Amino acid sequence: MSLLEFSIIEGIQMAWLAPAISVLAFVLIVVFRLFESKLGSAISILGAISGLSIVGYVVNQFDKTGAGEFSSEWFTVGSTVITVGITVDQLSVVMLAIVTFVALLVQIYSISYMKDEPRVGWYFAVHSLFVASMLILVLANNLLILYFAWELVGLCSYLLIGFWYEKRAAAEAAKKAFVTTRIGDVGLLIGIILLFKATGTFQISTIIHIAQQGGIADTSLMVAVLLLFLGAMGKSAQFPLHVWLPDAMEGPTPVSALIHAATMVVAGVYLVARVFPLFELAPPITLTIVAIVGLTTAIIGASIALVMTDLKKVLAYSTISHLGFMMLALGSGAYVVAMFHLFTHAFAKALLFLSAGSVDHGTGGKRDIRELGGLRHRMPITTITFSIGALALAGVPPLSGFFSKDEIMMAVMDGMHPIFFIIATLAVLMSSLYMVRVLILVFFGELKPENDGAHESPALMTIPLVILAMMSLVVGFFSSNWKSFFGEEASHDIDPLVLGLSISMSIGGLFLGWAIYTKRWVAPEEIAEKLKLFGRPAANGYYIDSFYQWTIDRIVLVFANMVALFDRIVVNDTVVNGTGYSVFLSAFKLRYLETGKLYNYALAMVIGVLFIGISKYWGIL
Amino acid sequence: MTLVYFQILSAALFSIGLYGVLVRRSAVLILLCIELMLNAVNINLIAFSAYSEPIVATGQVIAIFVITIAAAEVGLALAIIINLFRNKGSVDIDEVDLMKW
Repeated sequence: MSLLEFSIIEGIQMAWLAPAISVLAFVLIVVFRLFESKLGSAISILGAISGLSIVGYVVNQFDKTGAGEFSSEWFTVGSTVITVGITVDQLSVVMLAIVTFVALLVQIYSISYMKDEPRVGWYFAVHSLFVASMLILVLANNLLILYFAWELVGLCSYLLIGFWYEKRAAAEAAKKAFVTTRIGDVGLLIGIILLFKATGTFQISTIIHIAQQGGIADTSLMVAVLLLFLGAMGKSAQFPLHVWLPDAMEGPTPVSALIHAATMVVAGVYLVARVFPLFELAPPITLTIVAIVGLTTAIIGASIALVMTDLKKVLAYSTISHLGFMMLALGSGAYVVAMFHLFTHAFAKALLFLSAGSVDHGTGGKRDIRELGGLRHRMPITTITFSIGALALAGVPPLSGFFSKDEIMMAVMDGMHPIFFIIATLAVLMSSLYMVRVLILVFFGELKPENDGAHESPALMTIPLVILAMMSLVVGFFSSNWKSFFGEEASHDIDPLVLGLSISMSIGGLFLGWAIYTKRWVAPEEIAEKLKLFGRPAANGYYIDSFYQWTIDRIVLVFANMVALFDRIVVNDTVVNGTGYSVFLSAFKLRYLETGKLYNYALAMVIGVLFIGISKYWGIL
Repeated sequence: MTLVYFQILSAALFSIGLYGVLVRRSAVLILLCIELMLNAVNINLIAFSAYSEPIVATGQVIAIFVITIAAAEVGLALAIIINLFRNKGSVDIDEVDLMKW
């Protein structure tokens, strides 16, 4: 099907316009060099508004016409035709809606949050580029385009984490994020190549079709999808590639909200959901691996979030933990549920980050939860929105997180060994506990005198907060519509055990947090002292960073030095310079053959002719 | 008279010329020796032509070409030698070894 056979400015295929407009915004800002002007932000926001309206139109059309895939030929290599195209189905429509909606709110928020930054136009330019690449990523019907967009979002993430590149920590964090995700990206690329080798096409639907007819051998399919999953692990900050996400908090807070909570980091979850039939066709161990990675990430992220003292780092580890939940849901075979959690989490976590940014803004840059407290007296709106986000994430009914978490627990109960369920329950408890810990330490309790000057943020910042809070309140109720939207019947009977456990864990976590941090029946310091054995490794991120540093210093760099030495001594000095020097030396000796005496040359000529003649005579030549 | 006498004569002339070219130091004498070699070739050409069956005139024609070119060559070479003499005051080719390392 060629794109040109369709009208490209009506119907669901019009979705391509959404990224195109954001690209246009980026190009306009860059071409007219509006890096330091407010006009840049205006262009970017106009782009985001038009993007959102196009997506609104597409969603509307999608209701009428259903899914569709549109592609046209890009180029031909030999007999292989490479196509470029978009696919508009349930998955991409959902992602389109999340990306454009959250992006618009974050951009509006950023006007106020970033207003004193000199390079505000550049910030918005990269924001637009990010939105465009993320939309391309979710629209792509083709692994090649997907990979291209995948790298682009990585680039935008790098640029935005390092937005304050004068700060060494920010520059380092940007580099770390780029390199760490790159490790996964290599896997993704190899996986894509393997699938191409097996099927001769990059088109996702065709690959799935071929795989369904048994066109790909079991082991090669498994290797390929696990490599794709490696890419997803890098992007979605799954253990052990999660180390970049906490550091990425060095970027501006709206960036953390958009890229490192709501959209880019869920690209991995989206990728797995997009090629989910391949995961199902591969040997069952594949999905188990996905589930194990997800579960490990969920529990590790949650336990570290419990002991972090930096507000944004708590949220970052919480994001890691919830990305783990999504992977766990995927591993349990419930990709619709994973997407639902992605959906609710995107709003709740964007809300939490933006509220954290509001705190940061109102208190003059404080992010350490030990220095904050009692902010509800000074920042009522932020307090309410943060509470809604925190409770939604903690899974308290009837907020959105409750529904999605419940669905995940049910999927795990159905599809996995009970041990998965037990550990996941523990992670749910921790999730609730760390959220309430942050909530109480930052917003409740005594207002510290040095925070007396804290003030509520301007309306440009609070309005997005309120909108997101409302979303977090209501989206959970779409849980049953969600399944029918994805063409699954909402068949799960409500399992009272799972439901009861899920609720009691959430409420129990809240109560525990209240008991510890408000009532201080058991002082948190005392608990920390008792659980030092667990607390200290968690506070240091289980020494994973130190381990990587050690590996880099002691193994990678040592190996690199050896290679460098080989390069210098063998390649450079011996082969390259040696060749040149030997020519020089031989020329130095041989030039004395050129005597300048005529009779020497004549003699040489005669000997040559004689030689040729004699050889001819003897038949040698 | 058979062809071989002519060949022997030609070879002898050529060798004498070659020897002269290799050992003489005077540019004029070298030039003369080159003439000897050319004439050895001419003798060869004409002899083969005369003994060929049926008789063809190719050898004679080429010999005339050789004589013509030899004349031109001598004219050029003598001009060089005269210039050499004007510059160096001698025609000893040992003196002309500028084209070396």
